[in-house]
Amino acid sequence: MISITGLRKSFGAATVLNGIDLEIRQGEVVSVLGSSGSGKSTLIRCINGLEKIDAGKITVDNFDVSKPRELAEARKRSGTVFQLFNLYPHMTAVQNVALAPVEVLKVPRKQAEAEARELLNSVGLSERADAYPSQLSGGQRQRVGICRALAMKPSYLLLDEVTSALDPEMTSEVLSILANLAKGGTTMVFVTHEIEFARSISSRIAFLDKGQLIADLPTEDFFSATGMALPRVAQFLSKMRKD
Amino acid sequence: MRYGDFTPFDIILLLQGLGVSLALFVSTTLIGLVIGTAWAVVRFYRVPVLMQLVTFVAELLKNSPVLVQLFLVFFGLPAFLKINVTPTEAAVITLSGNSAAFIYVIAVSAIESVGRDQIEAARVFGLTRWQILRRVIAPQATAFAIGPLTGLLVNQLQVTSLISVIGVMDLTKVGNILNLRTLKPFIVWTAVGLVYYLTAKLVTYAGARFEKRLRAHTAWKGL
Repeated sequence: MISITGLRKSFGAATVLNGIDLEIRQGEVVSVLGSSGSGKSTLIRCINGLEKIDAGKITVDNFDVSKPRELAEARKRSGTVFQLFNLYPHMTAVQNVALAPVEVLKVPRKQAEAEARELLNSVGLSERADAYPSQLSGGQRQRVGICRALAMKPSYLLLDEVTSALDPEMTSEVLSILANLAKGGTTMVFVTHEIEFARSISSRIAFLDKGQLIADLPTEDFFSATGMALPRVAQFLSKMRKD
Repeated sequence: MRYGDFTPFDIILLLQGLGVSLALFVSTTLIGLVIGTAWAVVRFYRVPVLMQLVTFVAELLKNSPVLVQLFLVFFGLPAFLKINVTPTEAAVITLSGNSAAFIYVIAVSAIESVGRDQIEAARVFGLTRWQILRRVIAPQATAFAIGPLTGLLVNQLQVTSLISVIGVMDLTKVGNILNLRTLKPFIVWTAVGLVYYLTAKLVTYAGARFEKRLRAHTAWKGL
C-alpha cells in the first residue's frame, strides 16, 4: 500500500501540495486528474523520492520515503514512467531496460537482457530492441520507458503524464499497453490528462486542485452526480470535454 | 664534410628528441587524466574541504604561465623544501599538474552536460551515486569531453617545448643544438615545427576516431 498523509510541498514561496491524504492499495488503478499546475506531477515526484517533502509522511509498503535508508526499499517497490521518457541515450532499448535489474537487483546480465527482450517483445518492440532511443519514435520510446519500469517488477507503477509528449496515434499505442497492464492487475498511480482513458481503466479518481485533494471517489461516482456536485470538478470536466 | 653541415645522424637526434617529447607528453597526459578526473569526482560527490581545495589548486595552475610553474618547481623545490629534482622530474611534475587542472575543468563541464532527467530516472530505479556516475554519466561525459580534450592535448604537446629551457633533451632542445651547430635556423626550425605539426595531427586524428566510436548512439552526422 502507498499511504500519503498530510503531505505538504512548496517550492520557495509557492505551495504546490497543501495537505494531501491518499491511499493506494494493491490492485487499484488510481488516476490523478487536475489542471496544469495543480501538483499532480509533484505528487508522483514526492512518492518516488525525487522531491523532499516539507511535511507529512509517505510510505510505500511501510517504507518511509523521507528516510534515506528506507527510500531505497521504497524505490524498489515502485516503478516510474516519465513524461519525457528520460531514457539513457547511449544505451540500446535492451540496455535501457536491463540496467537497473543488473545494477540494483544484481540479476546476471545475460538473464536481465533476455528478460528485457521478452518485455520489449510484449509491447511490440522485438524488432527495435537493439535500437538507440534517438532511432525510435516517441511512442516507441515511451514503450521502452514502460518496459524499463516493469523490469524491476514493481508492486506499483507511477505514471507521470506518460502520453503528454505524444501525438494521438502514439498516445493510443501507449495507452493500449497500459490498459493491458491494468487488466492484468498491475497497481497504478496514473497522472494524466486523458480523461476518457482514465475513466475506462481506473478504479478510483483523485482530483487535485491548487495543491489540495478535493475529490477521491470511485470512478463511476466521479463521473456522475457526486462528482458533478463539486463545482471545480464539473468545471474541469466540461472544459476538458470541449477541447 | 664541414662541422656546420647536416649529417644523417641529425635525423636520429631529432627522433630521439621527439621520443623524449612524446614520452613526457604521454606520461603527463595520463597522470593529468587520472588526477583531473579524480578532482572532478571529488566535486561530483561534493566532498567538503577537499572540493574547495581542489578548486583553489586548479585555479592557481590554470591562471599562471607554465614556464613560471616550471621555474618554481625546478628551482623552488630544492631551495625551499630541500628536495632535489632532475629537469625531467620537474618537467613531469609541472606538466602533469597543468594538464590535470585543465582536464578537471573539462571533466566537470562534461559531467554537467549529462541531462538531469536521465539521472533522475536512474535514481528512481535505485542506482547508487557511483553506479549512476559509472553507467549513465561517464560514457556520455567521455563522448562530450573528447572534443575539448583533443584541443587541450594538442596545446599541451606544444607546451612540452617549454621544458627545453631547464635542459631536458626534448625535440625543441635538439632543434636548439642543431641550430647552434649549423647556423641554419630556418631549415632546423621548419623541420622541428613540421615534426610537432605531424604529431599534433596524429593526436587530433586519434581523438576524432575515438569520439566517433563513443558517439555511435547519436544519429547526428553534423551539418
